[in-house]
Amino acid sequence: MSGEWRIGVDIGGTFTDIVLLGPEGRLSVRKVSSSVDDYARAIVEGLAVALDEAGLTAADVADIRHGATVASNAILERKGARVGLIGTVGFRDVLEIRTLRMPRLYDLAWEKPKPLVPRRLRVTVPERIDANGAIVTPLDMEAAAVAIDALVAKGVDAIAVALINAYANPAHEQALKALLAERAPGVASCISTDVLPEIREYERTSTTVVNCYVLPVVGAYLKSLQAGLSAAKVDAPLSLMQSSGGLTPADAAARLPVHIIESGPAGGVVGAQALAEPLGESSIVSFDMGGTTAKAALVIDGRAERAEELQVGGEAIQASRLLTGQGYSVKTRAIDLAEVGAGGGSIVWIDAGGAMQIGPESAGASPGPVAYGMGGDRPTVTDANLILGYLNPAGLAGGDRPLDLEAARAVFQAKVADPLGLSLEDAAFGARRIAVANMMRTIRAVTVERGRDPRSAALFAFGGNGPLFGWDMAMALGMNRVIAPPAPGLFSAFGLIYAEVEHHYGRTLRRVLANADASEIEAAWAALETEAIDQLVAEGFSGPTQSVKRTASLRYKGQTHELEVDWTGPISAGKLDALAEAFGEEHARVYGHRAGAAEPVELITLRVSGRGLGDRPPLARASDRSTGTHGARQAYFGPKLGWLETPVLSRKDLVSSRKGPFIVEEYDATCLAPPGVSGEINDATGAIVLR
Amino acid sequence: MPPISDPVAFELFKNALIAIADEMALTITRTTYSGVLKDNMDFSTAFCDGEGRLIAQGLTLPGHLGSLPTALKSALDRFGDTIVDGDVLCLNDPYAGGMHLPDIFVFKPIFYEGQRMAFAATICHHTDVGGRVAGSNAADSTEIYQEGLRIPPTKLYSAGQPNETMFDLLRTNVRLPVQVEADLRAQLAACHIAERQFLEIVEDQGADQTITLMDELINYSERLARAAISKLPDGEWSFEDWIDDDGVDLGTPIRLFVTFKKSGDRIQADWTGSNPQVRGAINNTFSFTQAASYCAIRCVLDGDIPTNEGFFRAIDVVAPLGTIANMELPGACAARGLTGFRMIDCALGALAMMAPDKVMAASDGGNTGISIGGWDADRKPFVYVDFTCGAWGARPWADGLEGNANIFSNMASQSVEITEAEHPVEILRYEFLADRAGAGLYRGGAPFAREYRITADTASLQVRADRANFRPYGLYGGGAGHHARNALNPGTANEQDLEPKFTMDVQAGDVLLHELAGPGGWGDPLERPPVDVLDDVVDELVSEAGARRDYGVVINGHAIDAAATNALRAKLQAKRGPAPTPFTRGDAVPALEDGA
Repeated sequence: MSGEWRIGVDIGGTFTDIVLLGPEGRLSVRKVSSSVDDYARAIVEGLAVALDEAGLTAADVADIRHGATVASNAILERKGARVGLIGTVGFRDVLEIRTLRMPRLYDLAWEKPKPLVPRRLRVTVPERIDANGAIVTPLDMEAAAVAIDALVAKGVDAIAVALINAYANPAHEQALKALLAERAPGVASCISTDVLPEIREYERTSTTVVNCYVLPVVGAYLKSLQAGLSAAKVDAPLSLMQSSGGLTPADAAARLPVHIIESGPAGGVVGAQALAEPLGESSIVSFDMGGTTAKAALVIDGRAERAEELQVGGEAIQASRLLTGQGYSVKTRAIDLAEVGAGGGSIVWIDAGGAMQIGPESAGASPGPVAYGMGGDRPTVTDANLILGYLNPAGLAGGDRPLDLEAARAVFQAKVADPLGLSLEDAAFGARRIAVANMMRTIRAVTVERGRDPRSAALFAFGGNGPLFGWDMAMALGMNRVIAPPAPGLFSAFGLIYAEVEHHYGRTLRRVLANADASEIEAAWAALETEAIDQLVAEGFSGPTQSVKRTASLRYKGQTHELEVDWTGPISAGKLDALAEAFGEEHARVYGHRAGAAEPVELITLRVSGRGLGDRPPLARASDRSTGTHGARQAYFGPKLGWLETPVLSRKDLVSSRKGPFIVEEYDATCLAPPGVSGEINDATGAIVLR
Repeated sequence: MPPISDPVAFELFKNALIAIADEMALTITRTTYSGVLKDNMDFSTAFCDGEGRLIAQGLTLPGHLGSLPTALKSALDRFGDTIVDGDVLCLNDPYAGGMHLPDIFVFKPIFYEGQRMAFAATICHHTDVGGRVAGSNAADSTEIYQEGLRIPPTKLYSAGQPNETMFDLLRTNVRLPVQVEADLRAQLAACHIAERQFLEIVEDQGADQTITLMDELINYSERLARAAISKLPDGEWSFEDWIDDDGVDLGTPIRLFVTFKKSGDRIQADWTGSNPQVRGAINNTFSFTQAASYCAIRCVLDGDIPTNEGFFRAIDVVAPLGTIANMELPGACAARGLTGFRMIDCALGALAMMAPDKVMAASDGGNTGISIGGWDADRKPFVYVDFTCGAWGARPWADGLEGNANIFSNMASQSVEITEAEHPVEILRYEFLADRAGAGLYRGGAPFAREYRITADTASLQVRADRANFRPYGLYGGGAGHHARNALNPGTANEQDLEPKFTMDVQAGDVLLHELAGPGGWGDPLERPPVDVLDDVVDELVSEAGARRDYGVVINGHAIDAAATNALRAKLQAKRGPAPTPFTRGDAVPALEDGA
C-alpha cells in the first residue's frame, strides 16, 4: 500500500460519485454519469479522470471502498440467476408461503412479489431432522441425486439448499453440499447453514435463495471491476460496503453477496457517524433526501441502530413500519433505514376531500419538476422551493440546468393555490410544510419503535435536498441542531472512506440457561470467534487491530422475540446466571419491567462480530469549491415573516457565525438557514452547523 | 364556510393524528411480548375526541374496524362526568361494548386546562383471560360464563391511582398473569405516548382550533367515503352463504344472509335473514358485524380514506338482535372470528353483483383454528394454538393469491421450526395442493395442507375449520373451489375422515391432516389462455387430468396439444352451455323452512 489517497465510490442509477481523500484532509470529488450497461466502466473511467484532475496517479491510491447497487438492482429488476431450490419433503412452498403477512390492508389488488425460485424449480428430498437435531429420516441420497440432476437439466445457474431444522444439525445440508460438488460442479450453490445457521425456516430459506440469486451477477461485476482497475494499474485493495455499515473485501462479498444488498445508503450513515463525532455529537438522526426518496437512520452513542432483517426488492417505499411483506426477506445485519417517498420530484396535488397532498408519486428525473422545462406539467416540491426563492433560478450545479421560474409559478398557481384559495407563496410554503410532516412521520416511527426520543440528537442532513429541508425537519422533530457536511450531494461516497471492516457470525443454539451445558455454549461461541478471527487475519488485521465481540440473543421461555445482550470473555457454568441477569436488565430497559428470577431464560442465538480497525482517515478540509453566485434574492418565510432579502453565500463565507436568513449554494446542494437560525462552518470537519 | 378552513394546518393536523395512532401501535409491538400481538397483530390503536368519536385509527387489524366507538360509548355511559384526569378505563365484556373476552379495551381520557379533549384508545387480544379452555378461544363453549373473566366498564386507574382490586382479580383469573399484565402495560404505554403528543398539538393550536380540526377531519373522511360510494351503482343486492355448523350442533348448517342497499352516497348492509344465534361460541357482537361490513365495503371503495367516525357515517349496518350477527345473553362468542371471515365472503358475494369488476370470488373461508393441549414429558402443561389460512379467490383481473393472509386479518404464520422447538408437535407438511382451487379465466389461489404429528404421549386436539360442506363460490363463470378436509393418520391403514369442528383425544404418533378449502375462480375456465394452464401444470398446481377436466386444455409432456384442446373445449362448451353466472356454488344450498 504505497498510496496515501483513499477513494470512496458510490453508484446510483443516474450518477456515479467518486470522492478522493488525501493527506491533511485534501478532498476531491467527481460526479460522472453511471454506465448502466456495465457499471464498472464508469467507475474505472471516472476514477481515471478524478485522479487526473487532482494531479494524482494510480500509484497514489491507498484503497477503494465501494457502495454498490449491483445486488439490489439485480433483485429489483429480476435479473438475477436462475436458481433451483432443494428442500425437505412436504415443504416445497416455504419460499412462496413466506409468513403470509401482506403490507396493505383492504387492498384486493395487492400482488405478492413473485418468488425468486418458481415452483417448477423447487424440489424436495426425503429427509427429516427434528428440533433437537436428531435424524428422524435419513437423507435419501438417491432421491437427492435425481433432484440435482433434474435441476441441472432445467438449466439452473445456481442451487440453494434449505432443509427444515438444519440449524439444529447441518449434516444433511453438508451431505447435499458434497453431492452438489460432485454432480453439479459447474453450478454455483449454497446451503442455508453456511449462509444463516439460525432458526426460522422462511427467513433462512429466503436469505439463502437471495444469496444464490445475486451470486453470479455480483461475482461477474466484481471480476469486471477488478479487471478494469488492474488494467488501469490501480492495484489498491477493493472493499465493499455491507448493509451493516461495515466493509468486506471484494472476494468475501463475491462469496456472500447477500450482505451487500443495501450497500448504497449505508455509506452516508457511516460518514455521518464519523463526522458527527468530532463535532461532539454522539447521537444523530441522519437524513438523506434526494430527488425521489428520503432516508433516515438513528445513530445512538456513536453507533448506528441495526435492523435484523431487510425486505428487499419490493416496492421501494414502505407505507408503514407496522406492515411487512412487500419484498423478499433477507436476514442480515443492516443499518435500520426508514425510507419515505418524498423528494424534490414529489408531486403536489389536491385529493377528493380537498386536502393538499405531497407524493408518493414523483416526477422523477424525467420529466422532472415543471421548472426543468422537460415536459413536466405537475407541480413538485422543487417547484415550491424555486417559487419561495430558496433555489437559484440560474440553476444548480454551477448553472448546468437553469430553472424556469415563471412556468413553475403558473402551474403552481393554477393547480394548487387557486383550488385551495391560497396565495401562490402560501401554497408553496404549505407544500413544503406538508412534505416535512410526511417525512417526519416516517422518521419518528424509527425512533418510537426503538423507544428513543430524538430531541436531544442533532440532525445530519445530506443528499441533494437534505440541507434545504434540514432545519425544517429538525424543528418538526423537536431538534435544535443541524449539520450539513461538505459535498452533501456526494456524501454517501464520502462516508465510505470512514467505514471499517466488519463481519457478523451467528448460530442458533437453543438452550434454557438454568440447565444448559456451559461448555457447549463456550465451544459454539469460540468456534464463531475463530471464524471471525480467521477472516480478519486474512484481511491483514491482527493483534490490536482486531476487535472481536460476543453477543447473545435471549428471551424468557414462551416469548416470541429475542433481545440481544453483550458478553465479554469466556462463559462457564458459574457465569450463566450473569448472562441471565444481563438479559433481565436489557428486558427492563426495553420493556420497562422484567420477570422474577424463577422465570426461565432461554438462549436462542449466539453471535460474534469481528471488526478490523484501520487508521482513522483525516477529516476533510473545508471545500474550496464555490459556485461564485454571491449576492442576495428575495425568499419567502411564511405568512408572518413574508418575503425577506436573503443573502446567498458560499460555504467559506461562514467562517464566522452568521444569523439567518441566508442560503448557501454549492456545486451539488443548497443549504437553507431561515430567519433566527445562526450558522457557521466547523473548521475541523468542513461541516455547516445550524443552531 | 369552506369544508377545510386552513388546508395546510388541516393536512398537518391529519398527519399528526394518524402519526399518533401509528406510534401507539408501534409502542405496543415494541413493548408487548406476546406473539398474538407481535406476530398476529391482533390489536388496534385509536384516537377519539372528547365525546368519544373516532378520529384516527392505527393500521393494524381490519377486524377491529369500528369497534372502538361502541366500547367507548359503553364506558362513557357508565362513567360519564365522573371521568377525571388520570383515569384509565377498561372493559372486555361483549355485552357491554366488547367484542369477545380476550380483547381488552383500554381508554385514557386526555384533559387540557380542565377540559376533556380526547381519548387514547387501545384494544389488545390477550393470550388468556381464564374460562374453561386455555387461550379462552374455544369454539364449543355454549354460554359466555364459560369463556373467561368478564370485565364491565371499569376504572383501571382512578385519578392516577391503580385499582388494585381489579388487578388482583385479573391476576387471579387468568392462566398467564405475567403476560397479561405485561400486555396491559403495553396498552398503557401506548396511551401515555398519545397523551403527550396530543397535548403538544393542543399547546400549539389552542383548544378551540384543535376541536375545529377534529371536526373537519371527520367531515373530510365522510366526504371522501361518500364520494367513493357515489361512484358505485345504486340498487339492492342480496347474498346468502352457509357455515358448516357451530361445533356443538354438528351437521346443522348456519345461514348468513346480507342485503346491500346503495343509493347515492349512502350504503346499508342489512344482515336480516341471518341465522338465529347458535349454541356454539361463534356469535357476533353487533360491533363485530359492523367491522366485517365496513371491511368488505372498504375493499370496493377507491382512495385512501382515513378511518374515523366520518367513514362510518356513510355506512349503515343492520342486524336483528338474537341472531348470529347480533347476539343476546348468554350467547358465547370466543371463536366468532370464524363468523367474521365468513361474513366477509358473504358480503363480498353481494358486492360482486354491485361492482363486478372489483370483487374477488370466495376465499378459502378464513382461518382454521387448531389447538393441541395436554401435558409434556415433564408433566408441564402445554397449549399449542395455530390459526392458519392463506388463499384468495380469483379476481376479475388476476388469479387469487396463494400463501397470503386473509383480507380480514393480516396474520403471520408461526415458523415451523419455532413451533417444533416449543411444543410436542411436529409439522410434517406445509405446502400447496394441486387441483383444489376453483377454475376460471382466473383461478383461485392454491390452498395448502398442513400435517401435525403429536409427540406428547397423549393430547387433546381441538379443530375449528369450515367450508367442509359448503364450497367457496366462483364468480361469473369461475368454478367453485374444493371442500376443506380434516383427516387423522392420512395415508395409513387407520386413515379416518374427521368433522370440520371437533375435539378428540390423540396419542403420540397420531397425525392430523388439515386441507384448506380451495377458493373460487373468476370467469369462464374455457377461456383461460392455454399457456397459463400449462404454466400451472409445469408448476404442479394443476394436474394434466385437471387441465383437461376443468379447463379443456390438453397437455402432454409439458406441451399443449392445440388441436386437441380446441376440440375438447368445443365439446365441453356444448355439454355445459353458457358459463353459469354470477355464482357457482358447487353445493346445494339448504332449503329454508320459512322461505325467508
